[in-house]
Amino acid sequence: MDQLRLKIAMLIARSAGFLSKSLGRGAGETLPGRVLLALCPNAIELLSASRVVILVSGTNGKTSTTKELASQVRTVGTVVTSGSGSNLTRGVAGALMKDSVFAVLEVDELHLPAVVAATNPALVLLLNLTRDQLHRMHEVKRVAARWHEMCKAADPSTAFIADVDDPFVNYSITGAASAIRVSFGGAAHGRHPDGAVCPSCGRYLDWNSGKYHCDCGLSNEYADHVFDGGSAGYRNFVLASIAADLAGVHNALSNIELRNDFRGMERATEKVFAGVKARLRLTKNPASWTEALQGVTGNNVILVLNAREVDGIDTSWIWDVSYAFLAGKKVVVTGERGADLAYRLHVEGVESTLVDTFDQAIAVFGVGSVEVLAAYTAFFGLVNR
Amino acid sequence: MKIVRIHNELLGTYGDRGNADVLAYRAGLAGISTTVVDVSYRDLIPHDGDIYLLGGAEDAAQILSCAALSSGALHGAVEKGAVVLAICAGFQILGKTFYANGVEQRGLGLLNISTVPGDKRYVGDIKIHPDLLGVELTGFENHGGKTILGAGTQPFGNVVVGHGNGDSGVDGAISGNIFGTYLHGPVLARNPEFADLLLSRAHGAPVQVNDVLADHYAQLRRRVVK
Repeated sequence: MDQLRLKIAMLIARSAGFLSKSLGRGAGETLPGRVLLALCPNAIELLSASRVVILVSGTNGKTSTTKELASQVRTVGTVVTSGSGSNLTRGVAGALMKDSVFAVLEVDELHLPAVVAATNPALVLLLNLTRDQLHRMHEVKRVAARWHEMCKAADPSTAFIADVDDPFVNYSITGAASAIRVSFGGAAHGRHPDGAVCPSCGRYLDWNSGKYHCDCGLSNEYADHVFDGGSAGYRNFVLASIAADLAGVHNALSNIELRNDFRGMERATEKVFAGVKARLRLTKNPASWTEALQGVTGNNVILVLNAREVDGIDTSWIWDVSYAFLAGKKVVVTGERGADLAYRLHVEGVESTLVDTFDQAIAVFGVGSVEVLAAYTAFFGLVNR
Repeated sequence: MKIVRIHNELLGTYGDRGNADVLAYRAGLAGISTTVVDVSYRDLIPHDGDIYLLGGAEDAAQILSCAALSSGALHGAVEKGAVVLAICAGFQILGKTFYANGVEQRGLGLLNISTVPGDKRYVGDIKIHPDLLGVELTGFENHGGKTILGAGTQPFGNVVVGHGNGDSGVDGAISGNIFGTYLHGPVLARNPEFADLLLSRAHGAPVQVNDVLADHYAQLRRRVVK
């Protein structure tokens, strides 16, 4: 009965997706999944049953890590994977509509517990948890607490691959039946930006060169795998490669610290706008801004700040990023909340030109090349232009 | 002028560290030299600050910060007339009691207020009208507390948009040179008049700064939040 219901629901969902695409309505990614779940609420469970499911979640790097892992796993079997950024349950349902041996899926942090329960995954990659969209997540600790419950409740056959240099991730996996603890010799920049308090017991966490050890036992001094440190992109690449190795990919981990094929994961897209060559980077919270600013090498910079739902509707966090590094460069600021950012730069001694639209920002440069750091909605708006 | 930013690693969840940066910047424009002292949880709180700043936090961090402050250093500074700006969790700490991790906690008692859990979380843009300033202030609120003002305690402003202390129609509290509010933003970045008021109080003479970009930004937010 379930299978028949599923078959009919998939048929209707596919037609809806096809119709939506041919009418030019877009949403080809999420509409079929949405229709499928409406008609068959347990579709994710039914569609996961016969394949190896690997989930990827965390505040930053979900999309690039999922893409990397999917391409590695594809060498040993057929793979379905998430459409770019469609990481809510409807995106997961949509991705599962095609047959495959593996499903490699990106999942939103708050949706992860439900997706773990529904898919009974073989592997779950927990990348990191930092402040993001606080109007929706409220507190980092709140997300970690949900992950903690999720790990405790998960089937023993599910293994969690976790970067334990992040105390929130480390706390999440305490209580998991099966966890692979990965450390990079300590958190980047010496400490986790939101990690002053032990997420497990509430004591003050003293950091020492990226290491922490709480009296309650939470610590990143013990790990199953220890790698050299590196950028966020490199860390996620290593986690993806551990998962690929477990999925049977040959040589996934060989010489991993010497390779630089993770560079493709640092999401920068090149595109030309009105004759100006732009390198676009996604920046959506303090951690990803800090990471992206370190990658700025040129003198021409455009910063775009929006504050729609997925960007986070509160912009207060921009004060937790240091932009001092941009002083002396030619900086143009735009976006729906460009004024917030221009004033924040101003107070830090970085003068910028504030303009209304991205095209005006490009026109300020006219020729040459520019590095663009853009908020979530602005980034995808520009990539899809 | 000494600006003391208290426990930013604990009270820095919502970007309130920017309040110190704005004060220092505007003081500089007014020709007043400042130092911003960051005091972390393990440090002693200096007694000789002119302005003390506390920001918003998650529950466990709020409890730790309050415990560290209960040694009394802030009380001493307040008695000497120091200016205090406390936002959200920092504001709650200054009161008699507040709730964190679902348990009633004893606050510092510098303000005659107490905070209890609200019926829901108050998240969104907020606009208030403080009599003291004559302009509307904008910010962003994100908290689950309902703050009740004790007898004789003045609210900081009347709520125009949003919730503030809950559903009582007012936001924050003031007592002498102590200012408490739920406005993040940071509040002083979005409302330069408020920054100048705090600087004037600390300086002992009127401080008024001309900064076109600051005014443009403040006006823009006031137009948009309604």
